[in-house]
Amino acid sequence: MRALVASLSLAALCLSGTGCAAVKPWERDVLARPDMAWEPDTLEAKRDAHVHYSKEASLPGGGAGGGGCGCN
Amino acid sequence: MSHPARRGRRKARARSARRRAQRKRKPSALAALTSGALALPGLAGSAAAEGLIDQISSEYNFSRYSEGSIPASKVAPGSERGRYDIDMHQVHLAAPLGERFALGLDVVHESMSGATPWYVIPGDDGDPVQVMTGATVEDKRTDLLLEGKYYMDRSLASLSGGVSFEKDYFAINGGLGGQLDFNDKNTTLSSGVGVSIDSIDPTDSAEFPLRPDHEKKQSYSAYAGISQVLRRNVAIQSTLTYSLGNGFLSDPYKEALVLGEPVADSRPDLRNQIAWLSRYRHHFSSLNATFHTDYQFYWDDWNITAHTLEVAWYQSLFESFRLIPSFRYYSQGQADFYANYYDQARSDGYYSSDYRLSPFGAISWRLRAEAHFRTWEIDWVGSFSWQRYLSSGSYALGKVSAPNPGLVSFDLYSVGLTTRF
Repeated sequence: MRALVASLSLAALCLSGTGCAAVKPWERDVLARPDMAWEPDTLEAKRDAHVHYSKEASLPGGGAGGGGCGCN
Repeated sequence: MSHPARRGRRKARARSARRRAQRKRKPSALAALTSGALALPGLAGSAAAEGLIDQISSEYNFSRYSEGSIPASKVAPGSERGRYDIDMHQVHLAAPLGERFALGLDVVHESMSGATPWYVIPGDDGDPVQVMTGATVEDKRTDLLLEGKYYMDRSLASLSGGVSFEKDYFAINGGLGGQLDFNDKNTTLSSGVGVSIDSIDPTDSAEFPLRPDHEKKQSYSAYAGISQVLRRNVAIQSTLTYSLGNGFLSDPYKEALVLGEPVADSRPDLRNQIAWLSRYRHHFSSLNATFHTDYQFYWDDWNITAHTLEVAWYQSLFESFRLIPSFRYYSQGQADFYANYYDQARSDGYYSSDYRLSPFGAISWRLRAEAHFRTWEIDWVGSFSWQRYLSSGSYALGKVSAPNPGLVSFDLYSVGLTTRF
């Protein structure tokens, strides 16, 4: 959690133009890895979002395209 | 066409060619970090990769969802203890159409059966116990979603439309999304809107007079997000999502006990929901592994707040295998009109004993294994995963004096196969 807060602060610095160095296009090999995707397991992420949406009060945190209920 | 414009097109084609070449070396390495979308019913653009689709790909996943039985001490005498089982088939097809356009199709088919919580009564010892639906519920759900994406040099536009139908439920949804890259693609802004129009026709309404014959609801959603690359191996994303539900937001199959008499589940016909999701990705080259953490804060005007924290470790092994353990913690407060049962009538007439509006916490863990291989000029990924989910009043962040007896636990097994041509 501390890392997340630190990263969000760093992002704010980046956006204000005073912070981090930009990563150049030829330096993006690690960023392009499948396991660096926001959701590498797309179908499982969509399924889990639908299951959580059906069993909890919260909005899905990502992934549930489509509509319908299936909410029993 | 002007010279600068032609140069722009040439640069775009060169970029496209470089991406194709890179993809041949790392077949599934889409530039997923530009994604900012958070998908809700009707929202265009899923939270999946928003990178260029330049290969035909197909994905299939089969899942078996199985809820644990309610403990005998938490169920009313004579009531069913077994709960819901679902078999789910998911298919995703994606293909480029020319240099700048791509189409994606998602198909989901579910078969559901089992008993579900109906209402709550006081037990012999004073603790609340669950009454389950008497008859076994059986249903099937099919969901279709078609999405088109148009790629520009620094941006992406997407349009989606879908339908979902069950015996007692029909929904049609549509969405529009957009994404803009700048700062050498180190920063990405994304936003979108969506709408879903749902029609509810509960079964056996003649047999159960508290069930409505026909109801409608609409959901409107919007999101805005920002993704930022911090270093060569670190990226973060933050997305704010708003949803407005309007119409019949009650559960037609649930009831609540008021002054000893069952009444229909009845909720406000308006619900404003806000979710703020932040995600962090960090790759450790020395370990050949990537750390994921997601945190979401949720609030709605039924007075429910919720927190979700997920962590995952993507460990690559040898050249072709990946092992992914993950853990999720969830905690929510209760809706302000929720109770296990009611000793007094409410002036607003809202009643619900649905465990999904009750205060509880949940923990779940998942283990996923993947094998990557290439044969006949096709890239294949086979996967297996197992997940267990447990919920309880004692897992909540706050103290829960009388947890709902219908809180759910489940196991989820799945196998999947992905191909890219």
